[in-house]
Amino acid sequence: MMIGRRIFILQKRSFTSVRRFLCPYTSQAPNPNPSPAQGSASFRSAGSRSSILHVSPSCSSYTFVISFNVPYIAVNRSFFSSHAVADLPVGGIVDVPLAQTGEGIAECELLKWFVQEGDQIEEFQPICEVQSDKATIEITSRYKGKVAQILYVPGDIVKVGETLLKIVVEEAQVSTYVLENPTPTQEGLKNIKPCDSELTKNDICGVLSTPAVRNLAKQHGVDLNDVKGTGKDGRILKEDVLQYAFQKGSIKDPSASLTSASRRQFLGGEEDHPHPSGEVLGSYEDKTVPLRGFQRTMVKSMSMAAKVPHFHYVDEINCDALVELKSSFQNTNSDPDVKHTFLPTLIKSLSMALSKYPLMNSCFNEELLEVILKGSHNIGIAMATPSGLVVPNIKNVQSLSILEITKELSRLQLLALDNKLNPADICGGTLTLSNIGAIGGKFGSPLLNLPEVSIIAIGRIQKVPQFTDDGNIYPASIMTVNIGADHRVLDGATVARFCGEWKQFIEKPELLMLHMK
Amino acid sequence: MGNPGKIGVPMMNLVRLKGVPILQQLHLEERLLRTSSHNWCIINDATNQPTIVMGVSGKPAELLEIESVLCDQIPVVRRFTGGGTVLVDPGTIFVTFICNKDAVAGVQPYPQPIMSWSGALYNKVFQGIGDFHLRENDYVFGDRKFGGNAQSITKNRWIHHTSFLWDYEFRNMAYLKLPARVPEYRLARGHLEFICRMKDYLSRSVFIDRTIEAAKTHFSVRSTDLEAIETTANTKFCPSTRLLTMQELEAAAKFASQSKVSLTQSFSL
Repeated sequence: MMIGRRIFILQKRSFTSVRRFLCPYTSQAPNPNPSPAQGSASFRSAGSRSSILHVSPSCSSYTFVISFNVPYIAVNRSFFSSHAVADLPVGGIVDVPLAQTGEGIAECELLKWFVQEGDQIEEFQPICEVQSDKATIEITSRYKGKVAQILYVPGDIVKVGETLLKIVVEEAQVSTYVLENPTPTQEGLKNIKPCDSELTKNDICGVLSTPAVRNLAKQHGVDLNDVKGTGKDGRILKEDVLQYAFQKGSIKDPSASLTSASRRQFLGGEEDHPHPSGEVLGSYEDKTVPLRGFQRTMVKSMSMAAKVPHFHYVDEINCDALVELKSSFQNTNSDPDVKHTFLPTLIKSLSMALSKYPLMNSCFNEELLEVILKGSHNIGIAMATPSGLVVPNIKNVQSLSILEITKELSRLQLLALDNKLNPADICGGTLTLSNIGAIGGKFGSPLLNLPEVSIIAIGRIQKVPQFTDDGNIYPASIMTVNIGADHRVLDGATVARFCGEWKQFIEKPELLMLHMK
Repeated sequence: MGNPGKIGVPMMNLVRLKGVPILQQLHLEERLLRTSSHNWCIINDATNQPTIVMGVSGKPAELLEIESVLCDQIPVVRRFTGGGTVLVDPGTIFVTFICNKDAVAGVQPYPQPIMSWSGALYNKVFQGIGDFHLRENDYVFGDRKFGGNAQSITKNRWIHHTSFLWDYEFRNMAYLKLPARVPEYRLARGHLEFICRMKDYLSRSVFIDRTIEAAKTHFSVRSTDLEAIETTANTKFCPSTRLLTMQELEAAAKFASQSKVSLTQSFSL
């Protein structure tokens, strides 16, 4: 293999469109071999909180713009050449990025720094330690120089290619580097564009702050050198910048600019899913969120559901009696661990209606063109957890009392919160109930939870005016329901009759007693 | 910096331990990684008591059922390598490789190349014994995990260590929460459907012997004992692997329950 020597002295400060790599270990640029290896390291989070490490789904998605592993130097005066050059730059600030670790990892967690701002460092000296998935990795410096600025703190997630720190290079250290990969293509060279942004005082100042804080300072025209940091080791925080800007008169109210709390998740929200928490004032950059765990499952299941011909049947149910029943349960409740809500009664009455319309509680086998009428009423309850939509089900509702359903529902809710649902809790459902009303809205238009043939979305119970026969207005608690059904199996008439039956049990709960065994 | 024994094959010191506490093993490994210039293979056949071992950035509140852990006084260790949480006990067999970065020809000092190399090594170990694979970062028979891996890569060296589930106790699973990050091949399986016991495939001694034989295909292996290492130990070295204190776990338990209360309140209809 031809080994070429390249010197790249690049324009201005940085090349955000280009991946830049700093070999973390030796003067020879090792080939991290970005080709996919067996079992590409992709992970699906089945768990609770948003993962701190994200792994790109396949190594092939991680492509080198420049197909060689050389660092670049960003200096004030620079030019681009494919030939060895005699006159080398005399020095400047070097951006040291997080190098890729050879397996398509997109981000790493910074664990600790071995140096601090102002330290003199030698070539190949370890400067920090990061964690990527199963490994902790020491990153070493390619340069001899002085640490000008550290851009991340331990615990931060750093994307591969992002600048970790800046080093003042003391002397010309652009030398020839041995390439172990084939020489870069013309395309690769074309992609290296000079960046227009200039080094500002805030970029090279010696204060501790994150890129987001520096961005915020830039937005408000604040010189970070003038700001007193209240964070650890004198770190400048967002609040410090906003307070300074407020005092300067740049902004009216610093507290209004602070980030909002991360969104709350509510049970029963069928379309809710986690977002990256908070917004940083002044930071409007795109953020890539790899889908993991329940979210990833949702992609697959909804794509399949979309292939099924759905129809939707909408109705309104008077919940006055249900409201009264719930109050009655609550008033006579002596168990502090039990909290009565509407759902258990709705679930039980649903089961009663299913006994009369078993086709609603079935599974469709497309290949055999068979419908399996399920004996058990395993009612799934869609829950929005911090890590996405999950549908655990209550088994054998036909044999449970409302109180037993209440307790089982609570058990599943707590497990869902903790991400401790067993496969048994999630599998075997025969019909799904989605209480989108817990979050809000009149009703939803749900998609089937295959291989079930029906799904019910219930909206919020709202007090609305109703008319009596003689034209008088009275208030009524009305809940709108939307039943989604597989039109290959169910027709409108069946669903309408089923809904009517269910509605009756809700509007007249005493009928439940009539059928009680 | 390999020390060639046979021509072109680097030397590897083999240390065989039995029932050594995992904290002691990890301290030894960390010391050898950071202060030695030799290649090492450490095999610890069982550890003395059930212990929870978290990765370098593991957070107890997220990973453990802290109340049970505190109640049953299970020690919790935070190790110096990355990766997830395991509960180790006398049914666990540990195998560790500590190598100079150029000790193994063609293996670059990055997580994935090292992982692949280890997969190939264990492929030899389990040849004809089970449907062994390196699946993502785990060792599996079929689609059931029996070995978990973690690594640490320094400037000139790397460590790749594995805890093998030769046997496990079902009740110990209760101390660990379902992890936030799981490999894709796990699907929605709980602990018991996801893991398997190595004892269903081969005996401890056969496994250990075969592992040493497989190591010999890459290295010139010579046995060393623990005492020999410890007499030449660098006494100034301070390992980062440590036992979490009761206070830390109690603080984590308190944090976990406070988070649960505030989340539960938001879920009620």
